Amino acid sequence: MILEQRYFMSQKLVLENINKNFGSLVAVKNVNLEIDPGEFLCFLGPSGCGKTTLLRIITGFEQPSSGVLKYDDKVINNIIPQKRDFGIVFQSYALFPNMTVQQNVAFGLKMRKMPNKEIDGRVKEILKLVGLTEWKTHYPAQLSGGQQQRVALGRAIAIKPKVLLLDEPLSALDAKIRVRLRTVIKRLQKELGITMIYVTHDQEEALSMADRVAIMKNGEIRQIGSPWDIYKAPESSFVAGFVGTSNFIAGRKEGSSVKIDGYSFKINGLEEIKQNTVYLAIRPEKIELISDQTNMQQVEKSNIVDVIAEVITFLGAVVQITFTIDGIEMNVDITENEFERLELRRGDKIKLHFPPDKFHLYTEKPGNLT
Amino acid sequence: MSITIRSTIEQQYEVPARRLEMDRFVVPAVTIVIGLLLAFFLIFPIFSILQLSFFKDGVVSLATFTLDNFYKYFTTTYTLNALWHSLYVSFVTTVFVTVITFFFAYALTRTTIKGKTAFRSIIMMPLIAPSIMQALALIYLFGRNGLITSHLFETDWNIYGPTGIIVSEILYCLPHSFVILFTTLSAVDIRLDEAAESLGASPFKVFTKITLPSAKYGIFSAAALTFNLTITDFGNPVVIGGNYNVLATEIYSQVTNLYRFDLGATIAIILLVPSMMAFLLNYYISRKSFSMISGAARPFIPPSKLLKKISFTSYSVLVSASIILIFATVIIGSFVKVWPYDWSLTLDHYTFPSIGGYSAIWTSFWISVIVGIIGSFATLVAAYVMETRKPFFKQTLYFFSVMPAAIPGLVMGLGYILAFNKPYYFFFGTPWIIVINIVVCNFTLGVLSSISNLRNIDPSIEEASISLGGDTIRTFFRIIFPLARVAFFQNFTYFFMRSMTTISAVIFLVSASVHLAAIEIIMLDNDGWTASANAMCTCIIVIVLVVLGISNIVNKRTIRHPEGGAQA
Repeated sequence: MILEQRYFMSQKLVLENINKNFGSLVAVKNVNLEIDPGEFLCFLGPSGCGKTTLLRIITGFEQPSSGVLKYDDKVINNIIPQKRDFGIVFQSYALFPNMTVQQNVAFGLKMRKMPNKEIDGRVKEILKLVGLTEWKTHYPAQLSGGQQQRVALGRAIAIKPKVLLLDEPLSALDAKIRVRLRTVIKRLQKELGITMIYVTHDQEEALSMADRVAIMKNGEIRQIGSPWDIYKAPESSFVAGFVGTSNFIAGRKEGSSVKIDGYSFKINGLEEIKQNTVYLAIRPEKIELISDQTNMQQVEKSNIVDVIAEVITFLGAVVQITFTIDGIEMNVDITENEFERLELRRGDKIKLHFPPDKFHLYTEKPGNLT
Repeated sequence: MSITIRSTIEQQYEVPARRLEMDRFVVPAVTIVIGLLLAFFLIFPIFSILQLSFFKDGVVSLATFTLDNFYKYFTTTYTLNALWHSLYVSFVTTVFVTVITFFFAYALTRTTIKGKTAFRSIIMMPLIAPSIMQALALIYLFGRNGLITSHLFETDWNIYGPTGIIVSEILYCLPHSFVILFTTLSAVDIRLDEAAESLGASPFKVFTKITLPSAKYGIFSAAALTFNLTITDFGNPVVIGGNYNVLATEIYSQVTNLYRFDLGATIAIILLVPSMMAFLLNYYISRKSFSMISGAARPFIPPSKLLKKISFTSYSVLVSASIILIFATVIIGSFVKVWPYDWSLTLDHYTFPSIGGYSAIWTSFWISVIVGIIGSFATLVAAYVMETRKPFFKQTLYFFSVMPAAIPGLVMGLGYILAFNKPYYFFFGTPWIIVINIVVCNFTLGVLSSISNLRNIDPSIEEASISLGGDTIRTFFRIIFPLARVAFFQNFTYFFMRSMTTISAVIFLVSASVHLAAIEIIMLDNDGWTASANAMCTCIIVIVLVVLGISNIVNKRTIRHPEGGAQA
């Protein structure tokens, strides 16, 4: 393990006040970020949020309108992409179609004037690493999408990049291959100890792979933290809605309760909210279905609501029940086991408990509430 | 998957810094060099023409500025007539060609007639021959001794004059106009027609309300191109025009017969105005029309009714037959003893009596090969620099690159003598000036097709190369050039074909020591060796066909290869 970590001599990468405007369009806004050596950081956001632009600024294909980019405490703003030694993996693979797999992998090494003998050795290692040894004399057009992306990965790693940047590398692939390659990438990253910056709009990808996730919207980083922290404590209604799913509802603050339509919910932490109108978010799996097995001692009585199961969606291990409160559609997730035990049908009356400590409170209006 | 990397203590290699330092100057340097070359071989000759026509003795100063040449031109009935003649034949030709090719393209895109591939190949045939072949054939058929006029109908009527020019220009312009209309009609969604029909519109209504309006940009664009081709053509009118002078022939006769370079330059300016306008119109329209073409429109054509099939088949056969008749006349005419009296076969006409003869064909051939290589390479480099590297002078370079299409070859040729006929331009009077002239004259289409080809290459490929440490020159030669080579071959064929068949661009540039096959046709015809002119024409056709065939084979091989088809 120690040996492999020395394979990549990554240093700290720092982004200070990075801004990028295209004319009047603000693509990246005031981004400050420190990426530690060997870290796996993911930029996650909807399309057009500026994540790819930020990646291109790091690679050097775009210049920031303002701000400083530092690697190993040295400013690299003016260093051309060729000299940054950052490996890139593209969404479209971008393999050289006129070269075989091994020629593709060797390209960067040739540009570095590595002696041919060493190139052969390195290419062999890399092809073994990405499991394509038998395909070395094939052309990209003869490979499957997943294989092509592994060649692209190998090609980028071959030059021993200081940082490896991946721009939605899996989004052109089939779902199954996507999941398999996730593991490949994550293993490579951990075992080689390479700093990796990964751009995606797929939250599952981000949450399952990254050490830290930076959620972006409109060119800004809205929240950064471990996948677990972000999921548990979304700092804004945007993040609450974008990472995982949340039920949103607007209500009026009255003491330690929030009034919605005919209901009144007791909610923890309300003291911190100054505004009268409060936006509540609760994840579907945090809502509890009251049954004969529920320990009524631990239930906040005023937070129990009678609803009708309007739609039942079977999702495998989880069953989603859709209901309506105050004209707003909401979901509750229960386990398949529980669903089977209760023998629920569409149209059944159910009792739901909204635990007071499971709400997230926001003053910013969520996007899906009108 | 196990990770086994042992060789970790090895040296870290870096991209040589000096090479990347130098790389920063590659794109600006290439841009400036191409820009300067185009300025020198495009702008400077045009400037020379302006200089000679607007200034007394070509001396640029306030005192010598004069409009005398123009005054003289517009007050001399004979020369002024050339303008009216040019406008008249060009206008009539444009109307005919646009209508004929529209229905031809309609037949090939909107009906289910048989033999579409054959029709398409036949209408493209005029591209492989010089724009003089039509006139030669028409004279054999409808001239004073024409097979049809004096022998079949025994009439005194002959085709010399405006009719001859118009008919020959129509037959010459067909492929150019057809390509545009075919693209337009293939691109416009046929489902619109079906929707209108399902709503109860009659076939005639559908045609006038849907088909025609949706193709209007293509129609205007094809018309503008035909007008431009006709008004700038020299080969056909010089052979079949007789005493009916047009601007192109008038420039030539002022310069070569009367040695009035100033008047020649003046007429060149007058010719430049309508051809520029037609070009600008075309440029403006084609920009609009491309936005209308949707990639999704690859429709299924419902089977046409029998009557529609019969009429469109007969129509297409008629148009194709006329083109084949022209080719057949020239080719047969080169093998018979005395057209149309003695039909016995002979090779006598292939012993060319002129000075050039076979050496002219040889010269034409190798000049065309060089033009093909330089032209396709230079346009690819220019397109790469403009499209991918976006240098500082991109707009200027782009402007220079599209300008040649607006300038008639004859005008450019005249500009070349005026600009470069000086002892210190060592290349003047050598084949090299011809090479340069043809490359510059056809630069526009080469650049445009290279640009559209480069746009098909995923931009990430270029960035991948850069991120791996690839500099500009290596990226171009190792990645971009191999990916663009199908387009490179196509451009080579285009430049080669243009070079073999062009007359107007080079007529002023041939010299005592440099003869070209296409020009020899005019010389032979002028001296009364019409059958030999036909033979020379046939030789050109054969050479172009052979090269086309080879390039087709090479193309197919390239595309079939596993590395080829993926991105290119």
